[in-house]
Amino acid sequence: MNVQTPTLGIGLFQPIVSKLTRHSSGLVVAMVVLFSAVFLYGAFTAPNFMTLFNLKTVIRDAALVGIMAIGLTFVTLSGNFFLLSMKETAALCIIAFATAMSAGYGFEISFLFSMVIAIAAGVLQGLLIGLGGNPIVVTLGAAGLFFGIGSFWSDNLVVSFRRPHGAEWLGTGSFLGLPNITVAFIVIAIVAELALRYTNFGRQVYLIGANRAAGRATGHENLSMAIKVCTIASVCSAFVAIAFAAQVSSAHVNYFSSSFGSSGDMTILVIATVMVGGNSIMGGYGSTIRSSLGALFISAVDNMMVLHDFNSGPRVLAVGLMIVFSIIVFALINRGRRVQE
Amino acid sequence: MNYIHKAAKLVIGAVAAMGIFAGVSSAQAKTSIVSFNGPAGEAYIGKFIKGIKATAELNGYDIKVFENQFNQAEQDQQVQQVLAAGQLPDVFIWWPSDAVAGLGSLRALHKTGVPVLKINQLPNEQDKKYIFGYAGPDDRLRARNAGYMMREAAAAKKAAGGKGFNVIVLSYPHSYGGYGLSINAFKEAIAGSDLKIIGDVDEGFGQANGYKGAAKQIAKSKDQGIDFVYGMDDAILTGGIKALEEAGYTMGKDVIAVGTVCNGDKQLIEEGKQFGTTLQSPLHEGQLAIKLVGEFIKTGKLANYINFTPNPAVTKETLNTTALRGYDGKLYGINELCSGAWSD
Repeated sequence: MNVQTPTLGIGLFQPIVSKLTRHSSGLVVAMVVLFSAVFLYGAFTAPNFMTLFNLKTVIRDAALVGIMAIGLTFVTLSGNFFLLSMKETAALCIIAFATAMSAGYGFEISFLFSMVIAIAAGVLQGLLIGLGGNPIVVTLGAAGLFFGIGSFWSDNLVVSFRRPHGAEWLGTGSFLGLPNITVAFIVIAIVAELALRYTNFGRQVYLIGANRAAGRATGHENLSMAIKVCTIASVCSAFVAIAFAAQVSSAHVNYFSSSFGSSGDMTILVIATVMVGGNSIMGGYGSTIRSSLGALFISAVDNMMVLHDFNSGPRVLAVGLMIVFSIIVFALINRGRRVQE
Repeated sequence: MNYIHKAAKLVIGAVAAMGIFAGVSSAQAKTSIVSFNGPAGEAYIGKFIKGIKATAELNGYDIKVFENQFNQAEQDQQVQQVLAAGQLPDVFIWWPSDAVAGLGSLRALHKTGVPVLKINQLPNEQDKKYIFGYAGPDDRLRARNAGYMMREAAAAKKAAGGKGFNVIVLSYPHSYGGYGLSINAFKEAIAGSDLKIIGDVDEGFGQANGYKGAAKQIAKSKDQGIDFVYGMDDAILTGGIKALEEAGYTMGKDVIAVGTVCNGDKQLIEEGKQFGTTLQSPLHEGQLAIKLVGEFIKTGKLANYINFTPNPAVTKETLNTTALRGYDGKLYGINELCSGAWSD
């Protein structure tokens, strides 16, 4: 069994660098060097890219996708692949939150209401996956169910609540010059990583993800794990939904869907973030910090391309290339590692 | 006894035949419409569907709506299903997901001999021979009115001694058909004024993408100074206004925002954070489509081949007094006409 957890902060890069040099072929090193060179060239030649204001923009831009990706990372690390219902869970929760807010229930009750729905959504999916359902099929079905409920509930209309309201601090407030959503992203990233590294639950996530049979032999069933990780992912989706509703004082089931533009479909973007972070799709290897960095990286590349006047087409292409690149590089690194072992 | 049985059978048969005949004739009398359009889950299209259904019912028409998830392949399949079923309606309403890619389906609809009304996207050279008319918004008029509104705001700023007339544009995706029409009409409207476009970002539709696109454009254009922002629709602009506020701009004072479509947040106009918008009513679009179907059924042609819905400018001053008469004769207030966060 091979369970690895990366170190926090600067230490994160150390295993990557050492792996590149120890386990990887010249091809991998060349790819990484080439990609880094293109990125750095783009970053340093883009007007205003390296300003404090823009760097804050990059982090803020990554925040919503990053929070969802952190939640999804638990699912992926535990060997349950992906939840294809991330954006639909958010759609249902944003309608729940806005409906409660517009009915005058205030932030706290609306927040709890939305979270209860998220937990129910997570438990339902986790239960079905834990009982042996295919995660792709289960979450595709759940996606339709959640979106349908949200759509029916809101009658496909925008649900708005007038300012001032008790949620503005979350949507538009700031702390030490950073938007509160950015602060929330940083806090959630740190808490999630600590939970993965220093708690029994975190170790079980890696254990079951790396080897389900071994996990079962040591009394760690996937049923309870699937319920827990799906609930975490759903709660993260709900948080993003609430934060976004708080920002624009309204909700619509389609707020997280887009057929056009560089952002594309939210679920796909969240999965891309987890992949670009280098987490193993089969589970057992990766971290939430990797996903957070994946979100920041995608955001930085997108930002840099806007500053270079690229429109949405090439930017979508860039995200696609990043996923392909990431999969190839990490696959080659892992293969090199296995050969050496 | 036998005669009684035979007589009873005759009576029952006659009654049944009369019933069937009556049913057939009433079915024949009732105009049937099939509409191909986007999903009701999209706020604008949701209101449009309500508009066509309610107006069709009012006119005694049967209407069947096929929704696609902004997917031309899905819409093509729906067309094939309808054609394969063999029960053709009296009129097709055609809102293509992608007018160019959907040309084959439009041709297939036309080949059936059933007249086709195109809606929402202006006819192009290729598809106009397959349709009997167009109903929908005028992207150019809408954008032009937004440009004129911005000119007006710029002139007022200049008269008050204000400086700085740099404009950033929060666009539809550049690959979207409406982009070219909107940006060109807007540019024509502001030509010759002090306004100068310094940036144009396309992130996607909706508030979230508007926010993201604006945040990046702000980082790029901050040093030059951002004085005006044009959102190609209000949903995109709503996100953009949030990004500008987060970046420390006071909306209405540091930056003047103008949008279109009224699918964003009415409260932003009430608060003076958005100077104005140009109204575009999905309800009207649906009603107009049905009105034109009625006109065509009755006379075999349309008085006008191109039929636009009205796009009046709306500002804080006119917000509560703007109303439009629907094609059903009723007067509608702005909350009913707009499709975003407009209801109180």
